[in-house]
Parts: sequence; structure tokens; C-alpha cells
Amino acid sequence: MAIQVSGITKRFGEFTALDAVDLEVKSGELLALLGPSGSGKTTLLRIMAGLEGPDAGSLHLNGEEALGLKPRDRQVGFVFQHYALFRHMTVFDNVAFGLKVRPRGQRPGAAEMRRRVTELLELVQLAPFGSRYPAQLSGGQRQRVALARALAIEPKVLLLDEPFGALDAKVRKELRRWLRKLHDDIHITSVFVTHDQEEALELADRVVVMNQGRIEQIGTPADVYDHPASAFVYEFLGQVNRFDCMVEGGIARVGNGTLAIPTEGGVQGPAVAYVRPHDLGVSPATGGPGRIAGIHVVGPDARIEIDLAGLALEAEMDRERLATLGIVAGDRCSVHIDRARVFAR
Amino acid sequence: MPADNTSASSARSESAWVRWTLIGGALLFLALFLLLPLVVVFAEALRRGVDAYWTALTEPDAVAAIQLTLTVAAIAVPANLLFGVAASWCIAKFDFRGKNLLITLIDLPFSVSPVVSGLIYVLLFGMNGLFGPYLRSHGIQIIFAVPGLVLATIFVTFPFVARELIPLMEEQGSDEEEAALVLGASGWQTFWRVTIPNIKWGLLYGVLLCNARAMGEFGAVSVVSGHIRGETNTMPLHVEILYNEYNFVAAFAVASLLAMLALVTLVVKSALEWRFGDELAATRH
Repeated sequence: MAIQVSGITKRFGEFTALDAVDLEVKSGELLALLGPSGSGKTTLLRIMAGLEGPDAGSLHLNGEEALGLKPRDRQVGFVFQHYALFRHMTVFDNVAFGLKVRPRGQRPGAAEMRRRVTELLELVQLAPFGSRYPAQLSGGQRQRVALARALAIEPKVLLLDEPFGALDAKVRKELRRWLRKLHDDIHITSVFVTHDQEEALELADRVVVMNQGRIEQIGTPADVYDHPASAFVYEFLGQVNRFDCMVEGGIARVGNGTLAIPTEGGVQGPAVAYVRPHDLGVSPATGGPGRIAGIHVVGPDARIEIDLAGLALEAEMDRERLATLGIVAGDRCSVHIDRARVFAR
Repeated sequence: MPADNTSASSARSESAWVRWTLIGGALLFLALFLLLPLVVVFAEALRRGVDAYWTALTEPDAVAAIQLTLTVAAIAVPANLLFGVAASWCIAKFDFRGKNLLITLIDLPFSVSPVVSGLIYVLLFGMNGLFGPYLRSHGIQIIFAVPGLVLATIFVTFPFVARELIPLMEEQGSDEEEAALVLGASGWQTFWRVTIPNIKWGLLYGVLLCNARAMGEFGAVSVVSGHIRGETNTMPLHVEILYNEYNFVAAFAVASLLAMLALVTLVVKSALEWRFGDELAATRH
């Protein structure tokens, strides 16, 4: 089912959480709402679910106006950040809840209900845990119960609020892969909210980058990473070197001409240049303009801090490359940049 | 290493005599101020034997007092149950102007002397009170009658249920209610299937405490009662009258019933904690 968001605005007192947001979620896709806290992403998700009402704008679910519908009539599955499992019910009863509260005519019989719930518990790999209480499960297991519970009502859309936020790094990664696989199997239109750019880039078909109640960019993960539409997106997605510069004739000059970088786009005059650490080349040079301020080895990669005439830069390379270069902290070096994106200041 | 062991254990625990002095002190205090009075109540009540005890409890005025106390509690406790759930629901689940004022107001009966609470009702509904003339002309009697007793009791026991529930509901938040709504439950279903089960133990505690106080309240009730024997005397008031008449056996006999109420309340509370401890822990997590 497709979701059409048009001109949605939401204010909480003086604070504008969403500022005339337009967004289309295509049927069957897995979409990430990515942004820092306070960017409005969770509010947008809650408006889609009907847990919050917007001050202006319209929302269409599968072509039908949905703002007038109560949450229970929207056929959405919602997975809460802290799971919100019913603590006094067993795992089985949690999953069965959505079926049990249906009006008498639409409620499945006891046998049918048991079959459906068991099927869902098998889908989330929790079949043996039906009689446990949520307090007796691990974080990852609770998350999967929440997912099974949301899927039990056969929703047309699945909405997930920071689905992995409360889990530790290892479980988060496993569950992420598992969710991607699940989505590939059942193809339900899904929207998830995250502040973790790695999660959004790895998991989603398309990423929506949000900032201060507005959408900064919508695109595939490769799109938004390689061609950020704004300075904010550049800074938010991954590590970046940022410096003020003057652009003249397509060449950005930094400081007193310590760096001259060819630029893309037609920006002229004062600007901000962005370079990813892995796009920044370092070579040893006796009497070069830069100095290696420090080297940090993290797993297979090395982060190199460079002091270029008072400008602090960071480069990234793998350890083999570092060994080939043979640089150590304190060495002089030269810096070259092939690619920089500039935005007018 | 032995040396390390001794230092570690002495760092964590006091020497034996300090421990036993503290435990002994606490036990002595308990025995002196809680256990001894309780024993005295029953001992005095049974001083002239079981027959005298039974007679004291079954004479008409005593029976009337017991019935009146049960009636007042039967009205006041459910009223405060409803009020307590409603108040804690709106305080815990919604933000609104004047919320802090409401919380303060709920606590008011705890900070006001019960005698003053009683007087408020006399000033409002008494013969010469604010609504006195109106009530008299319509033949409604509140002060020196059962309605006054009920009102005073409701006022005094007002905070028990709400005080128990507000922190519990605030801690639980409204995520589960939202989950239920998205899953297709109506407001009514959400309330009965999610909200109530999550607060049932806090609710039960609140009701037990509220009930104990409703039956045992003296001050406020004393002001509005008028002490009419067999008509507006609740158990605590009846105890006082008997005592002032030097009828000690009867006074202690009725008092022993109130003491038993306290014991039963404690036992029920402990039994619930013991029986449903796991579930209780689960709802608090």
C-alpha cells in the first residue's frame, strides 16, 4: 500500500516539529526516515499511524484520505521504540491481542487464532517462547515479539520507531539483516525511523534525510551518500572534513592558499567545502606543508589526523596502505584532494 | 588469602554486637509500640470471658455501629476507587494546565487535620451553614446523619487510591495503550484489557488502605456524627462512648474488631504479594 504525505505540518507549542512535509512511500518498499533527534521523523511516523494529528496537510493511505481514520481503522502495524509489549500477558497473548479485540463477526475462532499466532511466532523464530512473559525475554526477543504482534493484524503498512535503538551493537546488526530478509520475503510497505546513518544506508531501499522538521533529501542509500543535496546531509552521513573556502573559477582556495581544490557545481565566492576522510590523500614529504598529528588504528582501518597550517584534517585508509606509506606521528606530509563538494556560505 | 578475607568482610558488615544491638533495639521498639497495645486490646476485651465479649458485640447499639461502619465504607471506598482511577489516569497519561494544582489538591486531606475536614462539612451543610436553610426547607439532613458521615469519610480517604496509582501509571507511560489502539482495540477494550491489568495490584493496595482508613476514621466523622447511639455512631465513635462510660470490656471488644480489620488487611496484602510476587514484579518492570 502506498502512503502519500502532503504538506503535513505539526507544532508542539512554539516548536515546529514538521514544516509542510511532502513524501511518497511506494508500495512494497522499505523506507528509512533518517535524522538527528528533534528532526520530526518520529512525529511523522506517529502521524502516519494516527497516534498524532497534524495541524495542517493531508495523508492518503492507498489513495484514500486517512486523517479522519482512527488508528484502529488504518490497518497499520506499529513497532514501538521500547516495544510496548503488554507486560501482564504472555508472548502468545501479546501476539493474539490484535485478533482478540476484533468485533465478534471478524474474530477468528480459537483454533484458527492458535494456528495464526503459532505461525507468526515461527516466523520470528520464537515458537518455544509462547508461554513466557515479556520480562523473561532478551531485548532482541522482545523486539521480535513486537514485530509478530504488529504483523498479526495483517497490516497494509508496517511502521517501526527506532526498531533497533535499544539493542546492543551485535544483536542490532543481526536483527537488521533478519528484518531485511523478512521484508524481502513478505514485501510489506515499511517505514522505519532511525538516527543511525549506517542502519539507514544498509537496510533501506530509499532514505529520507530529515532536519528541523523538513526533508533535506530523498534517494537511494548510494544517492544520498555519494551526492548529498545539502551541507547538512553531507555532515550527517558519515565522517567529513569541513572547511571554509573561497571559490574562484571552479577552484576552492582554503586558508592562505594552503589547499586548492577543484569543485563541482557552479558555486562562486565564499563557500563551505566537504571532503570525506577516504577521499583525502596523504603522502610523506620532507618539508611538506602538513604534519601528521596522530594515527589511530581501529580494526582494519587507520584514521590519520593531519595539521595543515593550523587546519585540522582527518584522513582514512586501510592498514596496508598505511604500512606502505610508512608514516608515523610527527612526520611532515603533503595533502591532495581529488574531490570536494562545496556549498555557498 | 585470609588477611584479605577478614578485611573485606569487616568492611561490609559490622561486628556482631553492633548488629544484635540494632536488631534487638528494633524488635524491642516494635514489641513495645505495636505488639503490646494489640495484645492489650484483645486481653482487655476478653477479661470477663468470651460470653461477655460476645454480648458486647451483639447488643443492638454495637450491631448498629458495625452496620453503619460497613455502610459508610461500602459507599466511600468504591467512590474513591472510581475517583482515584480517573484522577491518576488523567494525571499520568495527559498533560494539561493545572496538573500540579490537582496533585496538590489530592494531597490536601493528608495535610489537613481530620477535625478541620469535619468542620468544613458542618459549616457547609449544618443548620446554620452555607447550604443549611436550603437543605432544611427541602427536608434533607446531611450533618448528624449518614450522608455527612459518608462525605467526611470520602474526604479523608480521598488520596489513598490516587496516591498509589499516580507514580505507577506515570512510570508505565502510555506506550501500551497506544499499542493496543493501533492493534485495533477500542478505548473501552484498551482500558479493561491493558490499563486495569497493569495497575491492578497498585489498585488493590490502594483500596485496602482506603478501606482500613474509612472504617477506622475518627476525627472528621466525630465532628459530623452528632453521636446519636444506634443511629450515627460508627465503630470508632462507639468505642469512645463505651470507654467514657467506663465500660471497658465492651469498648475493647469493639476495638478488637477494628484491630482485626488491620490484621486482616496486612495478611491479605502479604498473601497477595507472596502468591503473585512474580506477576507483581513483572508489572513493575
